[in-house]
Amino acid sequence: MQYQPVPLQEGRAKQPTYKIMTAKEAVSRFIKEGCYLGMSVSAAPSALIWEIVRQKDRIKTLDLVITSQIGMSSVLIGSGLVNKIEMAYNWGGIEGEDRVFRRAVEKGIPKNIEIEDYSNFGAAMRWQAGAMGLSFMPTKSQLGSDVVKYNPRIKVIDDPYTGKPVALVLASNPDVGIMHCARADEIGNVQCFGLYGNTDVLARASRHVIVTVEEIVSQAEIRRMPNLNTIPYYYVDAVVHAPFGAHWRESNYYYHHDLAYGLDAYRQFATQEGFEAWIDKYVLGTQDWNEYCKLVGYDRLYRLMLNERRYQQFGEVR
Amino acid sequence: MSEYAKDYSMPELMAATVAREFRDGELAFIGVGMPLIAAMVAKFTHAPNFNIMVEFGAVGPSPRRLPLCVDCAVDNERAYYTGTLREVVGAQQAGFVDVGCISGAEIDKYGNVNSTCIGDYYKPQVRLAGSGGANDIASSATRTIIMMRQDGRNFVEKVHYITSPGYLDGSPGAREKAGLPGGGPQAVVTTMGVYRFDKDTCEMYLEKIHPGIKIDDVKASVKWNLAVSPNLVETEPPTEEQVMIMRTLDPYQVYLGTGRQTLTGDFEAFMKMMEDSYWPMSELMKKKGIL
Repeated sequence: MQYQPVPLQEGRAKQPTYKIMTAKEAVSRFIKEGCYLGMSVSAAPSALIWEIVRQKDRIKTLDLVITSQIGMSSVLIGSGLVNKIEMAYNWGGIEGEDRVFRRAVEKGIPKNIEIEDYSNFGAAMRWQAGAMGLSFMPTKSQLGSDVVKYNPRIKVIDDPYTGKPVALVLASNPDVGIMHCARADEIGNVQCFGLYGNTDVLARASRHVIVTVEEIVSQAEIRRMPNLNTIPYYYVDAVVHAPFGAHWRESNYYYHHDLAYGLDAYRQFATQEGFEAWIDKYVLGTQDWNEYCKLVGYDRLYRLMLNERRYQQFGEVR
Repeated sequence: MSEYAKDYSMPELMAATVAREFRDGELAFIGVGMPLIAAMVAKFTHAPNFNIMVEFGAVGPSPRRLPLCVDCAVDNERAYYTGTLREVVGAQQAGFVDVGCISGAEIDKYGNVNSTCIGDYYKPQVRLAGSGGANDIASSATRTIIMMRQDGRNFVEKVHYITSPGYLDGSPGAREKAGLPGGGPQAVVTTMGVYRFDKDTCEMYLEKIHPGIKIDDVKASVKWNLAVSPNLVETEPPTEEQVMIMRTLDPYQVYLGTGRQTLTGDFEAFMKMMEDSYWPMSELMKKKGIL
């Protein structure tokens, strides 16, 4: 009898190695043509989205998956990168109507875009399923509505235990998940401060994960409060240091939403020409995030930070 | 009790009316926009123990500046909990949310709301935002308040797309049969009046009419034969205190008027708004005994 050992298999865990790199490196390494890309909303990974637009000639097309997104996904849509968007909400929130999204859906400008609608919870449960290695999750949201009627990837069945209807959403496992968080160490242990929506499950569901952070800290600092570790290192491929990396959106306890800028961007997004002029100036006209911040003005960014600090600091009640 | 305000706008009347739907001690799921202002008004006037949950993962914030979104840094301010969307929406699905508040573009007589598209879904004349959390609130909140503009075209026989379920086709037990755990719409607050739903027919009827609005204009702006309560009354105006809170938080009327145009590109005005509410709101919280 000749014994043969069971062959070794590779797991999915990423190694605890040095992962700090630039946005340019991270995007070129992980985001390929036709990538199925997931992105967080709280906080929005603006620095990475700008870099994706800078590399759009190589990336060509993306399929996006979001829960809700305000403005940032439309930067990709208006740039002609997006073939399909799986979403619960893509609009301007306080900034109002998203003309970029409307142009793409209603008129096919700059190109046609396919939409798959969910509710926020439905969309979040897709990442939850993906994060746990399941192919679907049940939810009571979306039942009875047209969300189910027009989306073949939500199946309504009778719950085998209660006999009552339940909506099953298909798991979503993005090729790459991108997100902006508060702090990380060099091997990719990531802390989020304050609310973080679905950032944790997006990281767990994605095959590759790129995180931008406000601050890089030591592993010792992570070990000091391990329950603040929102995304342990084994999910993470790349850590990018991008202070103010969610501008014009907010990063909790660091700076708040730059509403005056967001409204002004939306004013320019009202036409495709206006959108392209904005992209040319702020995205393609800058080499990297630091240049973008200089263009916006660090004095402005620090004032947003000072206002946030006046009202709140992580770990204190002010 | 504060005096009634003599000078107030229609959005301020709507926000005050919604605020009065919130009871002290309740836990509410609040979306961005006017509902958020209404919730702040409730908390700082008649309901200091009323707490809100904000969709992207904050519970019980007590902010002294204007919350700008449902995933906003301001939503963390003095919160009891911050974390994930599934904590908040999961708790709602399990029945922990007393009241939710949504908005939309179109509504029918059974309280089904559309915020997805006008026209054919695949070839829309107008594409709108999508559900966001509205469907989740309408599905699972113990009761739902709907807040919307009434423009003569959007109270329709049949909405183009049911984003957020009301009483569906109005048949008895329709929501339960569909598997929806929440109680469904309780009230609709519009620019013309306040509507509720009959417990037997599930059909919307006019309960209150706003000061200065004529009943014929209300009927003309509804596409079905609108039922009117025999006890129709005029909507209570906002109090001076309610109006003061709204104007302190939102001095440029970002949510309640034309503030978006004012603040477009005006960083100084925006920063002034975010700075100036600090003392008045801090003093108000001290007075009301709210942390």
